[in-house]
Amino acid sequence: MSSVILTGVRKQFGSIEVIKGIDLTIEDKELVVFVGPSGCGKSTLLRMIAGLEDVDYGSIEIAGQDVTERAPAARGVAMVFQNYALYPHMSAYDNLAYGLRRAKVASTEVDRRVRDAARLLQITDLLDRLPKAMSGGQRQRVAIGRAIVRKPEVFLFDEPLSNLDASLRVEMRSQIARLHRELQTTMIFVTHDQVEAMTLADRIIVLKGGRIEQVGTPRDIYHHPANLFVAGFIGSPTMNLFPAKVISQDGRQVALHLDSGPRVVVSGVAGSAAAGTNVTLGLRPEKLQVARAVDGVDKIQGEVTLAEHLGGETILHLSGPHGPMIVKCDEDFDQMPGLKVDVTLDMTGANLFDAEGQAIC
Amino acid sequence: MTTDLIRRRTAPRHLVSSIIYHCVMLLFAAIFLLPFYWMVISAFKSNIEIFSQPIAWFPDPIRWENVSALFARTDFPFLRQFANSVFYAGAVAFGTCFSCALAAYSFACLRWRGRNLVFAFTICALLIPPIVTFLPTYIGWSRLGLNGTYWPLILPSFFGDAFYIFMLRQFFLSVPRELMDAARLDGASEFRIWWQIVLPQVRVALVIVALFAIVYTWNEFFGPLIYLKTREDFPLSVGLFTFRSQRAVEWSISMMGATFTAVPMVVLFLFTQRFFQQGLATKGLK
Repeated sequence: MSSVILTGVRKQFGSIEVIKGIDLTIEDKELVVFVGPSGCGKSTLLRMIAGLEDVDYGSIEIAGQDVTERAPAARGVAMVFQNYALYPHMSAYDNLAYGLRRAKVASTEVDRRVRDAARLLQITDLLDRLPKAMSGGQRQRVAIGRAIVRKPEVFLFDEPLSNLDASLRVEMRSQIARLHRELQTTMIFVTHDQVEAMTLADRIIVLKGGRIEQVGTPRDIYHHPANLFVAGFIGSPTMNLFPAKVISQDGRQVALHLDSGPRVVVSGVAGSAAAGTNVTLGLRPEKLQVARAVDGVDKIQGEVTLAEHLGGETILHLSGPHGPMIVKCDEDFDQMPGLKVDVTLDMTGANLFDAEGQAIC
Repeated sequence: MTTDLIRRRTAPRHLVSSIIYHCVMLLFAAIFLLPFYWMVISAFKSNIEIFSQPIAWFPDPIRWENVSALFARTDFPFLRQFANSVFYAGAVAFGTCFSCALAAYSFACLRWRGRNLVFAFTICALLIPPIVTFLPTYIGWSRLGLNGTYWPLILPSFFGDAFYIFMLRQFFLSVPRELMDAARLDGASEFRIWWQIVLPQVRVALVIVALFAIVYTWNEFFGPLIYLKTREDFPLSVGLFTFRSQRAVEWSISMMGATFTAVPMVVLFLFTQRFFQQGLATKGLK
């Protein structure tokens, strides 16, 4: 059982509290992704789990053992760093073997484990090379190999793909997912890239300002963000947010009057929304449709400011009466900047946030 | 037209300015090399030829016997003093590298309360002229009964030097922290991380520090003169001086001794200038 349990974990650097009380349970064999903007504390939290940063308050349990006071090497964790952190003066083989040698593993066993990991990661040919003679992707594979040979309870990845180019990133992402399936080990992955978070995670932990904003499956977090921050942070392109006023509530249905014009009805509202209160309607870019300007209900006028042609689809950036809007549309729907369009809102799966920014739908 | 296009472009040559530049540089090089050249040619002349008029810019004949004369002198145990110098400079270089690298690692790579304050105090030591502390230090060593030995000269180098600590710290700061973190996760102790992971990354800086320490110690005069008592214990710096002050007319043997004293430093620099250039380039880019 390689579960990780954080209880009331807090961390201060000088007078600044960077981790403000984290309670979290990561299940055995789960791949959890910490995601959040720069400075949200995700890397610090990972380093605290690794033992590279002291825990000021609270405790950390790994595989049922309280490891809060234990040295990094005694926690049963292995970490892959953003800049690979391979020892530059050692060959790939020695990099992989270093930790095992420190643990006084017999040399035959060291050799077997190093070669097994190398086979798994397809780096057998690189074992004699120094890190400087390898490409970024090869270095990252060696860094992952160094973590694998130690057979840790928990793998920790600190933005391991940020230094790779786009295509290599996709390849390494799928390799990490494959490794997770094959090794069946708990993994914690830190990233600021939400695509990585969405594609890799069993569960995503969204952090902001040293606090957890939401924990959930990628689908949950995408479709049911807990608050405006998560709604704005998760999803690429970001969710469209429309300021609105509640007209009336009928059971789980709420009628709204958008500041930008049309009246809409949101279904599935869990909380109560009194008439006249300010709320925010959230709609993903795929829930907006554009057509050349024609009068009608539920439409918002917009002007195309930028069209990003991605091949399979086009992302339109519009300026609307309440601010910018983003729409995903078909590639063949040709739009030129400056063109006036009507935006139709598809209210299925709409998100509604109260005046404090908390989700009520 | 076609010929113009296919002709390789060359950088514009400023021939006149280039000639002037090189002439000035050669002039300065000659001025700096002149004393060294004078020392070497004097070593192969007789005492009379050295001061003969007009000045002979090349020894004629070359007196190779001056070399054997130097090594045969009983009142100037050159080889013994050369060995003393090698031991003295080597021990100080080792002590300086060892202690300063440990201190610099602590200041740059470890986090502990009061680190910056202690570092500031260390740097303050640079402001204290060594001559101010010389007398109390001398009395201290005397009371320990270690005057007349190399201990007072070598042992302080094992307790760090503010300048070298500062210099090494700058190099240590450029070593990625993740390397040390990775080693900690691999179960290496702090000493092992310093020795096996960090020091190999700053070997250029270590060579430079060792070189500075060797050159400084090789030429060090005051300390050995005060602490050491016998001719057999002197390093070359003091040995050469005492020989010259006692045998003032024997210029050729003095110059031969000075040549043999200077040559190891020149050879050492030729072999290590690559590190100097690397070190300067590295620090220039930071």
